[in-house]
Amino acid sequence: MVRSALTLVARVLARAAPALGALGLVAAFPSTEARAFGDEGAFHPRVLLTGTSRWEGARKTGPRQWSWELGRRTSAPARLTPATVRADASALLAEPFAIWAGQGPVSPLSGPEIEGLRKFLLVGGILLVDDAAPETGQFGREARRELGRVLPEGVALPLPEGHVVYHSFYLLDRAFGRVEGPKTLDAIVRGGTAQVLFSSHDLLGALARDPGGAPTFPVVPRGEWQRERVTRLSVNIAMYVLCSTYKDDQVHAPALMRRRSGDRGP
Amino acid sequence: MTSTLGLSADLPLALAVVAFVVAAAGLVLLVLEARRRRAKGWPAVVATGLASALLALAALLRPVVVRSRGSSVGPKVVVLVDRSRSMLLPGDGGGTRDAAAAKALEGLARATRQARVSLFGFGEGAPSAFEGVAASPARAGRSDLVRAARELFAASDERPRALVVVSDGRLTGGGAEALRRVLEGGDSVGALPPVHAVSVARREPRDASLRAIRFAGTAVAHQPFQLTIEVGCGGGLSCESLPVTVRELLDGAPPTLLATGAARVTDGQGSLATTVTLDRAGPRLVEVTLGAPAGDELPENDRRVFAVDVARERVRVLHVAGRPTYDVRALRTWLKANASVDVVAFFILRSNQDDVMAGESELALIKFPVDELFTEHLPSFDAVILQDFNAIPYGLSQYLGNLAKYVESGGGLVMVGGPDAFLGGGYDGTPLERALPVDLDGAAEQPAFDLGDVVPRVTAAGAAAPVLGPLRALLDELPPMPGANLVGAPKPGSLVLWEHPTRRTRAGQPMPLLTLGETGDGRAVAIALDGAHRLGFSEAAAKVAGRGHGALWDGLLGWLMRDPRFEPARVETAGACVAGEPTSLRVMPLPGTQGTVTVEVTSTEAGRPVERRSAELPPGDRGVELAVGPLPAGGYLAKVRVGSGSTTRHAFACEKGGDEWADSRPDEGLLRGLAEATGGTFRRADEVDALPLPPPTHVSAERSVAPVLPAWLWTLGAAVALGAHWIARRRAGLA
Repeated sequence: MVRSALTLVARVLARAAPALGALGLVAAFPSTEARAFGDEGAFHPRVLLTGTSRWEGARKTGPRQWSWELGRRTSAPARLTPATVRADASALLAEPFAIWAGQGPVSPLSGPEIEGLRKFLLVGGILLVDDAAPETGQFGREARRELGRVLPEGVALPLPEGHVVYHSFYLLDRAFGRVEGPKTLDAIVRGGTAQVLFSSHDLLGALARDPGGAPTFPVVPRGEWQRERVTRLSVNIAMYVLCSTYKDDQVHAPALMRRRSGDRGP
Repeated sequence: MTSTLGLSADLPLALAVVAFVVAAAGLVLLVLEARRRRAKGWPAVVATGLASALLALAALLRPVVVRSRGSSVGPKVVVLVDRSRSMLLPGDGGGTRDAAAAKALEGLARATRQARVSLFGFGEGAPSAFEGVAASPARAGRSDLVRAARELFAASDERPRALVVVSDGRLTGGGAEALRRVLEGGDSVGALPPVHAVSVARREPRDASLRAIRFAGTAVAHQPFQLTIEVGCGGGLSCESLPVTVRELLDGAPPTLLATGAARVTDGQGSLATTVTLDRAGPRLVEVTLGAPAGDELPENDRRVFAVDVARERVRVLHVAGRPTYDVRALRTWLKANASVDVVAFFILRSNQDDVMAGESELALIKFPVDELFTEHLPSFDAVILQDFNAIPYGLSQYLGNLAKYVESGGGLVMVGGPDAFLGGGYDGTPLERALPVDLDGAAEQPAFDLGDVVPRVTAAGAAAPVLGPLRALLDELPPMPGANLVGAPKPGSLVLWEHPTRRTRAGQPMPLLTLGETGDGRAVAIALDGAHRLGFSEAAAKVAGRGHGALWDGLLGWLMRDPRFEPARVETAGACVAGEPTSLRVMPLPGTQGTVTVEVTSTEAGRPVERRSAELPPGDRGVELAVGPLPAGGYLAKVRVGSGSTTRHAFACEKGGDEWADSRPDEGLLRGLAEATGGTFRRADEVDALPLPPPTHVSAERSVAPVLPAWLWTLGAAVALGAHWIARRRAGLA
């Protein structure tokens, strides 16, 4: 209940911020109870913890910013106080999304962690692996190695430009992050769903904010234009989690094809 | 007592023949010899020779006198009287054909005095004892003479020596050749029994009618199929072109026009091929009407109503969600993974309050096509799912009436909870509320939601309902769900499967959380929860690999689409429903079901229930038959409830004449053909006195055999005659 109330307040703030800035008014919203009730199924970018790792550091605000941007830009409800969840905890199975982010070495997953992650993916969960230090790529490589133990049959392959994750809300032509990185996200696709997404771009790093609300890390090489694309990609990933292949439905295809000649960057 | 002469039975027939031949040959030789030699006194020679030959034959064959006492037994004759409904059509003299049959039977009674006559009525199956036209009324929907003959021959020990068929010739199930084959099949020793055909009508009524309605292939929902309508016009009516209208009859909604056209009539008949599309699967009622010209004697056969079992290739579902959540995700994932579902989805991803920070060209968003969806395309969907969707901001409010009519016309509706559903979505007091299975008795002071986590309590009906069977098979208990929409009491006839453990409606009942209901021809489901995804994603759900969510929706969508797996009973009409005559429905519930079966029959014409019946289910899963007639002609929908469970539906039509009246012309040609093919005769009803019947058979009860003379006397006579012959030859100078 407390969590719901917090979500509510954050969402109201998120929605009201532009209006407050532009008009000095607060937009009218449905009752507070309404939002609290529905937010149980809200997008929740939980951070996955393995071994003895903890979620701390400059990227800690990344998930919250992700939720805030999602709530501000879309109709999707999102939790503004994202939690952490351990790979061997039963709570991992309570929701269908988690982020595994880090830099440096990855300690080998324990048996219960492998089992927990395997169950999570078996019931349809989606895991985003975000390498916070793509310059070295150590976390990304070792996370892939460990996930190879969870899904021995899984092979991570680049998601082509036409994949729905690039047009689930915004039209994007490539992946973005704090660094430019490779053009695509990689993914292990199971049953037609990209269940494990690999970002070698430091997505959370580009989203993170300092206590004053300013970006924590500079984004290279394209600066704020690129940071906006990171936000858009994060919104797209959230929409992919919430709506799966909705935007690939035939009913949307013609309209999206017409717009494909749009934004290609500055 | 009768006496006859015969030969001794201890001599083989061949020996007797040889003896006759030898004797005759001897006599011939004797005559030839006497004439050639011109002997004097040859007549005496011949006479004595003949006497000796005859006496020798008698001594050898020893003739006997057979005396017997017995009686004369008439031939077995079976009279088959047509008991189909066509016998109620007009006959020749102003009365019905059945009246003419009654007169013919009186004549037959006189003509068959010497015969042993068995009277049977024939119609749809095995022939039944005929006790007169009043006691054995003409009710059968078919007149299958071939089947009747087959059954008769299979059951009878003594083959009839003749069949007499009294009919108007409007037979079904095969003609003369088929009947002949049946008669031959039973004939291994004797001759084929002749069939004497008695025609009860020759006049063709002044009638335009729908003679036949044929489908090409199978009716599949949403797919056009061809309907060929054959019409007839005769008896002097003037018909050049007959208008035809095809409609679908609905429960609680006006009929839907499917097709119109005109059949051009040439030589008294014509046909119209048209294409119709039925959008709803399951048993549907289709009505075809003919615009007959003035002077039509039989308006009853200008309209046909029949049930069409419409198959479904894939379930077309419109999934509309007010915002993307994990609950939406779970449902979409299940819908997309289900190969039998064709889903069209529209999710509101951006509201007017959202700041997307981008131009339209940078967004993968399209306008929510509410106008097209809820007007033009709505009938093409089998079910509409409104998930956490607020009707007001997206312009759906103006189409809620359409949506309610869609449900009443046979569509399926699911409202799934969330902040923007039920009261929160502004549906209170809208036309759509009448299609929901729960009341939305909201008030200004009443909140729209209950925020506490809730573990839905399964009701007694829910514990037994087939619709929850797949979920019950996986999960013993439900996981907690986050909050619930506040709804009112279930509507009359609705079925609550889950209820809130603590919340009450204003009437004091537990608040429904999962409710099924029927509105008109359609079905609706109300899920006052937005946490059903926890059946797929939760610690409890993980124990069954998250299959609980799919199991719930498998049942709900299946029930919505009237999948037999989730129906509480199988219902069928016991025989054909004939307008104005007793009709009954046979209800076969699922094994193990107990309680009271309640049947409510609604007339599609009157738009209201016309019959209500109930009966206790007998033990042993035997089902029950409930009388629901007599009913006037028209289309009917029977809603059947078993115990406190959900209802199932059965569509059926009642007709005055049905197929039997479709073609009102008598067919004397067919009756003549029957008679000719079997060696019988054709007679009209007033000519039966002259019916040729087989002769009676004499049956002996007492019999005695005595020799005409003792054998020694025949031998002595033969010896004396031979001696006289020898003397006569000597005198005549012969050796």
